[in-house]
Amino acid sequence: MEREKLIEESIKIVGKENVLSSETDLLLYGYDASLFRGKPDCIVLPGSTEEVSKIVKFAHEAGIHVLGRGSGTNLSGGTIPTQGGIIIHFSRMNKILEIDIENQRAVVEPGVFTLALKNALARYGYVYQPDPASEKVSTFGGNFGENSGGPHCLKYGVTTNHILGAEVVLSNGEVVQVGGKSLDNPGYDLTGLLVGSEGTLGIATKLILRIMPKPEAVKTMLAIYNSLEDAGKTVSAIIGDGIVPATLEMLDKLTIKAVEESIHAGFPLDAEAVLIIELDGLKDGMERLAERIMEICKKNNVREVKAAKNEAERMQLWAGRKGAFGAIARLRPNYLVCDGTVPRTKLPEVLAKVMEVGRKYELSIANVFHAGDGNLHPLILFDERNEEELRKVHLAGSEIMKLCADAGGTISGEHGIGTEKKKEMLFVFTPQDIRAMEKVKRAFDPEDLYNPGKVLPEVEA
Amino acid sequence: MSKTDKLFPKLKEMVGEANVIQDPEKLKAYAIDGKKPKVIVSPGTIDEVSKIVAYANQQHFIVIPRGNGTKMGMGGIPKKVNIILSTNRLNRITDSDSENLTLSAESGITLSEVQDSLAKLGRGYFLPLDPPFTNQATLGGIVATNSSGPKRLLYGAARDLIIGTKAVFPNGDMVISGGKTVKNVSGYDMCKLLIGSYGTLGILCEMTFKLLPLPEKEATLSLSFGKLEEADGFVRQLRISQLIPSSIEILNSIAVENMKYPRSMPQNGNYLVTVGLEGVTESIGRQVSEMSEMGKKNGVLETMTLDSDKHRAFWIALRNFSQGLSEKYPNFIGLKSNLLISKSGEMLGNYERIARESGIECAFICHAGNGILHSYILPGKNFRSRIESFVHFIGGLTSEAVKNEGNLVVESSPLSIKKKVDVWGQSRSDYLMVRRLKGQIDPAGILNTGRFVGGI
Ligand SMILES: Cc1cc2nc3c(=O)[nH]c(=O)nc-3n(C[C@H](O)[C@H](O)[C@H](O)COP(=O)(O)OP(=O)(O)OC[C@H]3O[C@@H](n4cnc5c(N)ncnc54)[C@H](O)[C@@H]3O)c2cc1C
Repeated sequence: MEREKLIEESIKIVGKENVLSSETDLLLYGYDASLFRGKPDCIVLPGSTEEVSKIVKFAHEAGIHVLGRGSGTNLSGGTIPTQGGIIIHFSRMNKILEIDIENQRAVVEPGVFTLALKNALARYGYVYQPDPASEKVSTFGGNFGENSGGPHCLKYGVTTNHILGAEVVLSNGEVVQVGGKSLDNPGYDLTGLLVGSEGTLGIATKLILRIMPKPEAVKTMLAIYNSLEDAGKTVSAIIGDGIVPATLEMLDKLTIKAVEESIHAGFPLDAEAVLIIELDGLKDGMERLAERIMEICKKNNVREVKAAKNEAERMQLWAGRKGAFGAIARLRPNYLVCDGTVPRTKLPEVLAKVMEVGRKYELSIANVFHAGDGNLHPLILFDERNEEELRKVHLAGSEIMKLCADAGGTISGEHGIGTEKKKEMLFVFTPQDIRAMEKVKRAFDPEDLYNPGKVLPEVEA
Repeated sequence: MSKTDKLFPKLKEMVGEANVIQDPEKLKAYAIDGKKPKVIVSPGTIDEVSKIVAYANQQHFIVIPRGNGTKMGMGGIPKKVNIILSTNRLNRITDSDSENLTLSAESGITLSEVQDSLAKLGRGYFLPLDPPFTNQATLGGIVATNSSGPKRLLYGAARDLIIGTKAVFPNGDMVISGGKTVKNVSGYDMCKLLIGSYGTLGILCEMTFKLLPLPEKEATLSLSFGKLEEADGFVRQLRISQLIPSSIEILNSIAVENMKYPRSMPQNGNYLVTVGLEGVTESIGRQVSEMSEMGKKNGVLETMTLDSDKHRAFWIALRNFSQGLSEKYPNFIGLKSNLLISKSGEMLGNYERIARESGIECAFICHAGNGILHSYILPGKNFRSRIESFVHFIGGLTSEAVKNEGNLVVESSPLSIKKKVDVWGQSRSDYLMVRRLKGQIDPAGILNTGRFVGGI
């Protein structure tokens, strides 16, 4: 279909003011937080499920690609319109529909920012646990699409453990309810299948979330190390001792430097690594558990363990952690975040190998990650204008994926596959595994209209 | 030679003579809803499973996976029963990595064997699932039926605990999803698709679970109440508090009487609320005393704390309630309703009223922290003449559940009831996708045909 006609039809459904199609718009929606670029045909801002359904139905009949987009902060090229088409941007569907304390559920539209819900829940003394560092701007649609994680997911589980149902527009425009406010609805766990499917199977127009009472007590500690390896060993040892704290985050020297230059979280500049260890739950026994953790830190040559004395100090530490990507962005023009995940016992060994890769390609690598989950985030710093450097970055990134896979791990813990890591899928899956996933894709989207060209690599039939 | 005659030598060639049962006398014990299989085959490796399934797919034999058979009565009436694929020889722990807090095991091992081995490991670990049929249920059966128990309140269900699966799909492909990492978003989450899929998409062969260290201390608080409003008032207060119980159960007196645990209710006691607690030692005492206070505010008649032996015995009896029941009431009907959490107590009351009005005796056990309500119809004499009234009753409860954003599944019942109700409750809008997925993955319809939702 001609682009003019497509825009005209979209305007009929959502109104002129809700269709964007200028060259600037197309440029703005042509990129996300990854290194990729593309170009949509137009951008539609629907205001209701019905409008989404109509757009999708129209696109289905005309054979046009459709891509759902929240804030475009995903790091794997998930929102790059690689093959043109319509982008559905959820900025107008941004209402918290219901906070249902009695049933421990919240119902939101996909455009709601993660943090906005948390702020609304604070009034009731309730929390939604997953906490991606980008939560100020990341949307629930995006969290759903990527199955996002965050520091507290160590204890509480990732997004998929907290999304219990959704209203979903299928690729032909039909609307179905999956899951619900109550647990164990009969049928397949389609909610679980859809979470993390990167907008390739269905578009969510409503999400049902699990919320819970805020923990009674919290204790946050900063463990400071003179060696990255010792910090890594501490993480393995804490988990090995059967302790699952609420968070177990690691930042290395380069990250600390970047953070301190911009945020002043109070991380010591001469340290090789720090761990942010947080405990939460009932106050009883928490001190004893904290001491047990400190013992483990000491056994692994910690230099010092400091506890946050009050909420302000605690918030400062977390501001340092959550602002780390942004701070690192100030060091060099670009960075590539790798998202490899390994069994927790393998952490020290794999960290050492990651640093070797950096030396091999003469690239700076900063590490700031969810250590307790074994979820590494080596950030490779570079300048994309330097083609030779860019080439090396891609090689190094892939090599890091490979060594995570070889250590019994995987190529993405929370950022998704998107456009970026399709090739690397074959590090962890056989063609048989991919073919099974293709069947799922065909069941949902036989014409391959939803976010085409993502997630699944081509394999022989 | 007929298709079936060829099947026997073929299976024997794949798994060895000793692992194929075709003696009609022996097969009788494996009948499902009165339908007898042609053969039972017990593969010893995933590769063998793959060969059997691929062959069945080619020849259009219906394959029904089976663990220890504790849940073969669940689900709709199978279309046909050709091959029963028993997982009893797939019973190894393949990777026990307590340092990483993960365990991988094959589907035919029982959960209790896994727990025993974990308890002996280092400081002592466990797999935090506590479904019914404590000693017999296999991992595969538990996961395929998404079976869970009271402790789910604290630890979650299979979907929260499984991080990897290996399954054989209908075309014979061995399909891996997830792995040994606690976070993983590489590709579609096929684990979630398989959990609770009742063996209609693939044969679960191996699974990887998250583990936890055994809690330092456990205890049970048991409170009896005269009125349901009081019991529910207590539970509501507990639910919104910051306390962290591992389970909250409400039982009516008929359930208490039929439980294989010597707990008599005080006079005027009609409802028992039991709260499971586990965690660090310091937290237990404090929670017990705060909850006891909450009990008093809500008109408790009697409060008891059960520790160690009694605590364990109580929870085993509760989990195995239906097993115990079947000795006295072989015809009992077990129903599971999933409800809004806040409606747990109220719905128990509604169900009780409907039961009273219909003159039907019913035991109720409600996981009140999760909104899961189990109802057990105790049929008494003259079953045949009462079939219609039971069917009517089930319909009544189902519409009550649906009105409250829930549903109702018949988990166990005599065939005569199954023939007259949809055991999967009210149909849902997403069955459309269930059918399409089944159609793509199992186009010949060979896996467990007829037993799951929408008749697939
Ligand atoms: C500085 C920074 C820090 C970050 N920190 C973290 C972190 O700690 N943990 C983490 O997990 N991620 C993190 N991320 C990645 C990113 O923020 C998350 O993936 C986030 O969930 C994406 O949300 P979004 O609204 O930007 O989604 P988008 O990028 O717009 O979309 C993400 C995917 O979801 C799909 N999608 C969007 N809306 C819908 C819908 N309604 N229905 C179906 N599919 C939909 C899209 O098609 C796309 O595939 C970080 C990113 C940045 C830039």
